[in-house]
Amino acid sequence: MSTHDGIHRESAGSESRLRVLTAVVEDHPGVLTRVSGMIRRRGFNIQSLSVGPTDAPGRSRLTLTVDAGHAEVDQVQKQLDRLIEVIEVEDLTEMPKLSRELALVKLAVTGPRRDRAVAEVDRFGGRVVDAGREHVIVEVSGEFDRVEGFLEALRPYAVIELARSGPVAMSKEVQQ
Amino acid sequence: MTGAEIVLEALEREGVDRIFGYPGGANLPIYQQLPKYPKLQHVLVRHEQGAAHMADGFARASGRPGVVFATSGPGALNTITGLCTAYMDSVPLVAITGQQNTNLVGRDAFQESDVIGCSMPVTKHNYMVKRVEDIARVIHEAFHIATTGRPGPVLIDICKDVQQASWEPVWPDEIELPGYRPAFAPDLSKLEEAAAALTRAERPVILAGHGVILSGGQEELIEVAEKSVTPTGTTLLGVGAFPVRHPLSLHMTGFMGTGWNLRAVQNADLLMMVGMRVDDRVTAKLSEWAPKVETFIHIDIDPSEMGKNVRPHLEVVADAKTALATMLPQIVPPQPASRRSWLTQIDQWREEHPLKYVRSNGHMQPQDVMIEMYRRCDSDAIVVADVGQNQIWAALWWNYTRPGLFINSGGAGTMGFAFPAAIGAKMARPEKAVWCVAGEGGFVMTAQELSVAVRHRLDVKVVLLNNFSLGMVRQFQDDFYGGVRSEVDLSEMPDFVKLAEAYGLPGICVETVEQIKPAFDLAERTPGPVLIDFRIDPEANVYPIVPLGRGLNDFWELPDEYA
Repeated sequence: MSTHDGIHRESAGSESRLRVLTAVVEDHPGVLTRVSGMIRRRGFNIQSLSVGPTDAPGRSRLTLTVDAGHAEVDQVQKQLDRLIEVIEVEDLTEMPKLSRELALVKLAVTGPRRDRAVAEVDRFGGRVVDAGREHVIVEVSGEFDRVEGFLEALRPYAVIELARSGPVAMSKEVQQ
Repeated sequence: MTGAEIVLEALEREGVDRIFGYPGGANLPIYQQLPKYPKLQHVLVRHEQGAAHMADGFARASGRPGVVFATSGPGALNTITGLCTAYMDSVPLVAITGQQNTNLVGRDAFQESDVIGCSMPVTKHNYMVKRVEDIARVIHEAFHIATTGRPGPVLIDICKDVQQASWEPVWPDEIELPGYRPAFAPDLSKLEEAAAALTRAERPVILAGHGVILSGGQEELIEVAEKSVTPTGTTLLGVGAFPVRHPLSLHMTGFMGTGWNLRAVQNADLLMMVGMRVDDRVTAKLSEWAPKVETFIHIDIDPSEMGKNVRPHLEVVADAKTALATMLPQIVPPQPASRRSWLTQIDQWREEHPLKYVRSNGHMQPQDVMIEMYRRCDSDAIVVADVGQNQIWAALWWNYTRPGLFINSGGAGTMGFAFPAAIGAKMARPEKAVWCVAGEGGFVMTAQELSVAVRHRLDVKVVLLNNFSLGMVRQFQDDFYGGVRSEVDLSEMPDFVKLAEAYGLPGICVETVEQIKPAFDLAERTPGPVLIDFRIDPEANVYPIVPLGRGLNDFWELPDEYA
């Protein structure tokens, strides 16, 4: 049996299965269903997804982290592009990009423990956004590793609630 | 105008003259207006699945989009299998379904179902129309989407109150779909490279799929094959794209393809795949497919097909006809001597692996029937096949001297497709003889549409290959599932001659080889639909066949002692 380049020999190689993509879509009812339905149908899996408006009216931007599953990794972008209401798709995985996630953490801390916790928050560039007698709520935004580190550092301080977004991402390149 | 009138006028403006449909509560406003539009000839089907298959056959035979009407809930859901069939085979359809009133949607109202959600994975696109102002634009967009790029079905779900609302439409000229850019001019430099590679190759093979037929590129395919002296085969859906009696023909490829085709694919050093998806039925075990190929060239209109199953060295995103026509002048014919050994080798494989069938057991064989039918087709008739053994027998014994139309559900594999599709094909091409080949299992799944053939006096001849069992399933059970024959017996079937007569058409029962010719004579002499019940060898099998999970090299043939 030959092993020339042309054929996917059962497994699809060692390339990362996780793709980070951003897509501009028409802001119609059901667009998210189309995107998520296609991803399920093709055997991909959504790791994270965020949706928000763009500067153009009637257009939304999705940022997706998708596991390509058993498919070829470029299929994620190509299948997204096939959807009529998807206007443009960029696969940012291999590109210089900025990525931001947001975490909100509620801590049950008082007294000196609260001071030490707030110092950790400062160390990560986070901030206190709400404080009561028994708790503080803090936030941090940053790339995945920074948010992970932040949460790790806060672990000793009685975390009672955690909310975390998926990433929003943007290429650093300037397109005309 | 009412929304219903806008729908019908929009269809006229799109050039529609035939609709396959079924009325019900949620599309009654449209049906109320329909008699005012005599240019729209409506075919009342007996089941909505039949409507979708008829529209599909109509589209494949005419090259124009098929149109389906159905009501909400079960009516719309009955079209889903037909939409999926069209979607898998890239056939342009527009289905217009009625929906509950806008204020009842989402309240589980009578005959309400989420048709948008249900049809999303089996349509190229779909629309829910909740405002009368949107109807004209949506219908125009739907036809554009269905017929351009890689064709496919589009569904439009229109709420009943929207059909009844009033509005003076502005008929759109322009299409504004910023996310849809179907026109691709082929990359000239890639085609130059492909042409040079074709000439340079020692053992080239072209495989052609449905895309060649959908784009009308059959003549260009022949010219490219001849000028580059390249043996050319087809996929199951590509049958008819290249003349089987052409000296360069490799006939059908894939896991039930001809032996000489499979030998050629497995030994080729260059493979040019045109208008095809390279699916599992083409490759069998992918890791063992075409192992000696050094250059894969893939021409397809859908960019997502590039590298989906096979990563080509040269990608050309374009419709097959345009790509082949653009490539043709770039081809430098190879020195005849450089092709001699490859062509000689293929001739040898053709002699070593001819199509064979059982001639020694006293039963009428399906191939006896196919050979006689194709003699009468005279390389011109439209043949519509169902799914299963009948489909493969009809494909393998196809023998046209020029391109022709062989219609079947290759992608979805929908049993019951053939007869309604044949009705649609005949309505699209009344000047052509239309033969419907089906097994008895698939035929009874949509047999109620016999009424439609009778009502419209359609000259569709049904060739029933009746083996009193689910033959393909039985063959798989025998060969690949331990010989356990489980739930494949169809001995309790209607008397098909009486069934035909009950519907108002003549039926003929054929039990011996000697009766085949007189039965075909009688069928051809009889105007209108005729059903011939050929009671074939119940043990007849499809050969060649590649055992499940194996590579193309391992194909089985009928042992010589039976041939």
